[in-house]
Amino acid sequence: MTALLKDKYAIVGTGHSRIGKVPELSDYGLQLTAIKNALDDAGLKKQDIDGLLTHSHLLGAVRVHHQCVSERLGINTDFGVSLSSGGATSGLMAQIAVAAIEAGFCKTVLCVHGDKGRTRESHDFRELSPDYLREYGMFSATAQHALGMTRHMHEYGTTHDQLGAIAVAFRKHASLNPEAQMREPITLADYHRSRWVVWPFHLLDCCQVSDGAAAFIVTSAERARDLRQPPVYVMGMGRANNSRGWIYGDHMLELAAKESGAKAFRMAGLTPADIDTAQLYDCYTYIVLATLEDYGFCKKGEGGAFVEGGRLELGGALPTNTSGGMLSEGYVEGMLQIVEAVRQLRGQAAARQIPDAETAIVSGNGGNTVCHSTLILRR
Amino acid sequence: MGYAKPIPVVIDENRPFWEATKRGQLLLQHCRNCSAYRYPASLLCPECSSTAFDWKPVSGRGKVYSFVIFHRAYHPAFAGDLPYVVACIELQEGPRLMSNVIGIPPEQVRCDMPVEVAFEEISKEISLPKFRPVTVRS
Repeated sequence: MTALLKDKYAIVGTGHSRIGKVPELSDYGLQLTAIKNALDDAGLKKQDIDGLLTHSHLLGAVRVHHQCVSERLGINTDFGVSLSSGGATSGLMAQIAVAAIEAGFCKTVLCVHGDKGRTRESHDFRELSPDYLREYGMFSATAQHALGMTRHMHEYGTTHDQLGAIAVAFRKHASLNPEAQMREPITLADYHRSRWVVWPFHLLDCCQVSDGAAAFIVTSAERARDLRQPPVYVMGMGRANNSRGWIYGDHMLELAAKESGAKAFRMAGLTPADIDTAQLYDCYTYIVLATLEDYGFCKKGEGGAFVEGGRLELGGALPTNTSGGMLSEGYVEGMLQIVEAVRQLRGQAAARQIPDAETAIVSGNGGNTVCHSTLILRR
Repeated sequence: MGYAKPIPVVIDENRPFWEATKRGQLLLQHCRNCSAYRYPASLLCPECSSTAFDWKPVSGRGKVYSFVIFHRAYHPAFAGDLPYVVACIELQEGPRLMSNVIGIPPEQVRCDMPVEVAFEEISKEISLPKFRPVTVRS
């Protein structure tokens, strides 16, 4: 069924705010900046938007968030929903946009997410994480994901040199991205010297905390052809949830990425060998490694060897997170991965352009990596 | 003053678990229909959806499935404990639960290490089930 949707819809506009420290803008200021940039990019007016998807999560969690956004943007929509599937939401917004247009709910969908993660004043982790078994001192997404890394090291002998190769590669890419939050190149020695947060994670295994927002617009391939930018077609879509939880079964080792990726490849009619660039949800280095395994770029347990030797760097066999990813460009919960994939496929990535990039895979993980979404895009 | 760390929230669904740890016993819900043990406490058996269950004592023995070592205090009351271990313990009866591994330096904890429960009284009402390495017998 979903194969019938292959190439039928396209991403026609993207935009983002400044990323990093943006104290002068509110949550809505960041989101509206991203929206305005995405509309300008597509050559659309706000009146052309009849569907709005937002993400109601993160620090500024509000109910009926899409209504708050459309009120400030000054539009009525035929279809509007606020979603919450953590870092899987960004990719799911694209998929739900496709489904909503296919169902006839609307014709052109604006998807937006982002907030004031860095400079918000009341930033209290203790309030944020009521579910983390605080009585045992279990706090933070960092510790949750670190549990997976420990077990992966135990089962497969994965090393810190291998995780470090991911951090070094993405920082190298960020150094070519004038908009990235962290642009100073790092070495493997810098990685090893960075402090432990929750072992086995060094500080440089962890993504940035950022102010920032991003937006993208989805419409039919037919409408896309009349717009300002070359369309980026949605070839494949996948989604899955390891809903028994992170500590259940082998979920720490085999993410929902496996099933989600398989669905997306099946719909696109492609295999990992056909992918020119990966834009992966890199909340932590380990999740990049595990996602590459689960998508079938290498076998389970061989991710450590796969990421070494510059394979993920520009000029390598699978340039990954070419804008720096959340580890270095900034954290907008997976939105910037979609923005960068589109940029690469349009040939607009300037100093970090992958020559003739035709296909990209984008991943998203949420709910401490039990929810997953996958997009395969082409120019 | 006194105990400054967070205290678990006891609700009707998990009350038998916490009443038992107070007595030095580990009790889990056991499904009357499919015999699966489950944790955390829940109305439904996640295996067969039966709502019929008994609270049954379990061995308190298991292994470290995975673990992490905190080097940062996310809550001020844990600052004095750094570095400390939080582990995912797989009980012999099947369920996994999060707890601390105690009685061993953090750098000596390993995945699959056999452990057994040890109760730590934190208040008049609550004792936390923690885990320590099982002494190897030859």
